[in-house]
Amino acid sequence: MAEKILKKDDIGRLYSELEKEYKFYAPTKVKGNIAFKKISNAEEIELEYLNSKVPPKDVLFPQKETIFEYRYEGKDVIIEERKDLEDKLLIFGVRLCDAYSFKLLEDFFASGDFQDDIFLKKRENATIIGIGCNSPRQSCFCTSVGGHPFQKESTDVFLSDLGDTYLVEAISEKGESLLKKLSWLTDAKKADLTKSKELAKQAEEALTTKFDFDLVTKVLDENFEHPVWQEISESCIGCSSCTFLCPTCTCFDVIDENDEYNNRGRRIRIWDTCQSCLYTLETSGHNPRPAKIQRCRNRIMHKFSYYPSNYDCLGCVGCGRCITACPVNNELRLIIDKILEIEEKSGEKVSA
Amino acid sequence: MPNPYIPMLTRVKSIISENEVRDIKTIELEFQKEEKYKAFDYIPGQFAEISIIGKGECPIGIASSPTEEGTIKFTIKKMGTVTSAFHNRDIGDTIGVRGPLGNGWPMEELKEKNIVVIGGGFAFSTLRSLILYVLDDKHRKDYGKITVIYGNRDSGEVLYRDVLEEWEKRDDIEVVLTIDREEEGWTRKVGFVAAIVKEVAPSPDNAVAIICGPPIMIRTTVDELVKIGWKDEQILNSLEMRMKCGIGKCGRCNIGSNFVCIDGPVFSLAELKKMPNEY
Amino acid sequence: MVKFMGLETENKEIENNLREIARELLKEKKVDVIIGYKKGTLPLLSQPIIIDSEEDIDKLIWNNLCYVNLAKYLVPRVPRFVDPEKGNLTVGVVSKGCVGRALIHLASENKINLDEIKIIGIPCNGVVNRQRIEMEIGEKEILEVSVLGNNIIVKGKNFEKEFPFDEYMNDLCKVCKIRKPPLVSKVPDLCVGECEEYSNIVDEFTDIEEFDSKTPKEKWQHISEALSVCTRCYACREACPMCYCNLCFVDQNKPVWFGKTTDLPDIIVYHLIRAMHMAGRCVACGACSLVCPMGIDLNIINRKLEKIVKERFDFTSGLDPDALPPMVNFKMEDAQEFMLEED
Repeated sequence: MAEKILKKDDIGRLYSELEKEYKFYAPTKVKGNIAFKKISNAEEIELEYLNSKVPPKDVLFPQKETIFEYRYEGKDVIIEERKDLEDKLLIFGVRLCDAYSFKLLEDFFASGDFQDDIFLKKRENATIIGIGCNSPRQSCFCTSVGGHPFQKESTDVFLSDLGDTYLVEAISEKGESLLKKLSWLTDAKKADLTKSKELAKQAEEALTTKFDFDLVTKVLDENFEHPVWQEISESCIGCSSCTFLCPTCTCFDVIDENDEYNNRGRRIRIWDTCQSCLYTLETSGHNPRPAKIQRCRNRIMHKFSYYPSNYDCLGCVGCGRCITACPVNNELRLIIDKILEIEEKSGEKVSA
Repeated sequence: MPNPYIPMLTRVKSIISENEVRDIKTIELEFQKEEKYKAFDYIPGQFAEISIIGKGECPIGIASSPTEEGTIKFTIKKMGTVTSAFHNRDIGDTIGVRGPLGNGWPMEELKEKNIVVIGGGFAFSTLRSLILYVLDDKHRKDYGKITVIYGNRDSGEVLYRDVLEEWEKRDDIEVVLTIDREEEGWTRKVGFVAAIVKEVAPSPDNAVAIICGPPIMIRTTVDELVKIGWKDEQILNSLEMRMKCGIGKCGRCNIGSNFVCIDGPVFSLAELKKMPNEY
Repeated sequence: MVKFMGLETENKEIENNLREIARELLKEKKVDVIIGYKKGTLPLLSQPIIIDSEEDIDKLIWNNLCYVNLAKYLVPRVPRFVDPEKGNLTVGVVSKGCVGRALIHLASENKINLDEIKIIGIPCNGVVNRQRIEMEIGEKEILEVSVLGNNIIVKGKNFEKEFPFDEYMNDLCKVCKIRKPPLVSKVPDLCVGECEEYSNIVDEFTDIEEFDSKTPKEKWQHISEALSVCTRCYACREACPMCYCNLCFVDQNKPVWFGKTTDLPDIIVYHLIRAMHMAGRCVACGACSLVCPMGIDLNIINRKLEKIVKERFDFTSGLDPDALPPMVNFKMEDAQEFMLEED
């Protein structure tokens, strides 16, 4: 299918035609931060944004969601499964790092003998419209983790911001059928395609943070016990900013919420975090990761060592949220530098 | 594929209070739908996420053996919110079950081998399952000599007295019971499990040792076994960790890149030595 | 506040002085380690840094972005502050007024032994409300922040904006009466650097007049709206020097007191109960708000409590290590009628 052009003025038209069929999620401003929310008006869409504070992961894997509802009738329990998993979702204007995170999440929730039905059904029913990242931030490093500011593959429809218009490309079959509904889009010209390519190149060149993660993984695999972890965890205050704002963090807790008066309730899951001491605390009082050193290490090992060994890819999309969010500035770039220093030092020893 | 977070519904068929302190109960569950029971195809050493819907869910090793047909059993010690709620159940109450989960004891690999089962205290449930399975007429011929060393703090803590007595009567299994201190009327061994292991000195030839118990017991017992020639590969352990989902998604039970819920809970000592000490 | 010199000069002077004191403390072995601030890797951030050698002295900075309350790292002590053989090391803490107050208050709760620390007092000239600046810049990347005259200069690709420091200072700093750490007469050599003796703190609480004039319903609305974006990452709690409980009320599960979800009622309950635990203990450092990744402003809640405690008990936290905070101390004549008040 040929590439199309969407005028910025026509976003409202696009919204009003698609919102009938889809639950329409888009970046919008909430209390000064960009968030992906189900919008009720095209005016709410903010496409000129750096990235959302909380990643769009929360559309498919919200901070709190129902697993099932239950009701007691005497000694019997009646379980009701969710019915809203079949709703068609549209996630509009997703940055490519976050679009790539949907792929990682999908692979993770589908891995092994047990599939996470709740996530996967929603993922299946979601169409993702990604948008190229014309000006990556200093804290961005998507190209180091296999991504790109214009990586189209993880989207269904891909937009690039050409100034007054967007170049629109259908990437998947889902995307193609979505674009068929927007027959009024005009055809793109060769110059538009050239411009998009030029923007992609510029964006790639603008990325200043680069890491050799193959090396990072190798060093991590060999240095689970190393004094560097004490250094890395020293200033960490143990909050969960890094994990709660991470597009690939998937850990959750399960809780039963009761409506005691009506003999009913629901089993829910809420985001949990390996940075909390309660995460691994056992009823006996024993805690396998009792101190910050172990918890900080677990986060880094999980993303850059356990993920590669279990799923053959890094558990990071390079969005840089943990870098900007850390309140004590104990950020990933510094952590990675310290880890790589281990290798440099051991290299020096060998050559000496 | 059905939603793996939805429990199958069972009913409490019987409740046995196992010890004198009355903080350990064995609950026998009957599936509300026969086809669910048929699909519940498990081996000894696996666990299930059992829940009192409205209170929560917790992972518990399956105490029954697949050879005990019709129901499944769980031995539950009163510890936290959910396990305490289990202690308040009555016959006929509804219990949710998700499983079977985890790898279980390697019943295929154990074939033709001598099995030394070493248990301490409350952690005997999946060992009960294993021994019943191996002693069953259908399976007995597949396995070699069976030695059971089971220790407790005092005689009031000994679980599964009915089956223990039956085993003691048989001649195809050696059962060694011990308690920590002398007690009036106790006619079996006295001493810590490790000391009894030293005394019994099970041979490592063509054998596998299966150990469950408190960490200190495991450590001292392993030391004794190693002294008499056992190799790390011959020693199996079942781990416990805080878990929520039991299916490798919620995250918390990882030891390095392994999840106890799906890669375990059974690991050999050789495997454990390669994993970080975070359990 | 009238500034006789530009903010930049003022900062440089503070920085030079604190480095000089730090150097001397290490040289004369009066402290084993020093905790202070280091330049951040991003324009509006700073980093806590622990140093134990004179070589690293020049890493210590002061730049109006030093918003973390360093007392946090002493309760419990980070591993570097404890020697496996010698036990607790003597720690020099670079202290603006609120850090000094936190240390002294923690001593009153027997969490810190003042003989094991040195307060390196600095005359704090306020910290920047970084979230307010971020939100006003909006969806543009801030690449550089500097101080010129009395303005904060924020630069990015294709933009440059000036923010008058007096206005964009953290709200608590605007009304701060305790800019230098308090002197403790009982431990005369506790403070090195600039400290001050405070006798009677007069605070008009003009900053919360507007909030105070609201009806209970309006107050509720204000609080609900402000808290609605909370993700419950607990950065506020973890950054707070007074939040040192081994198990926070919100994490207890036997019994479960409060819900853990991000439903608004659960969020509000968490923040308000935490605030109650801060009454008479909060040292108004503002760290809870300045570390919030969502930019939630908790200052009004904390100031309101500070006002109540001041009015009812005439108590200011963190001035005297021997004065028990009012909520820890019961007297028969304690005022009680407020329990029945509506607001």
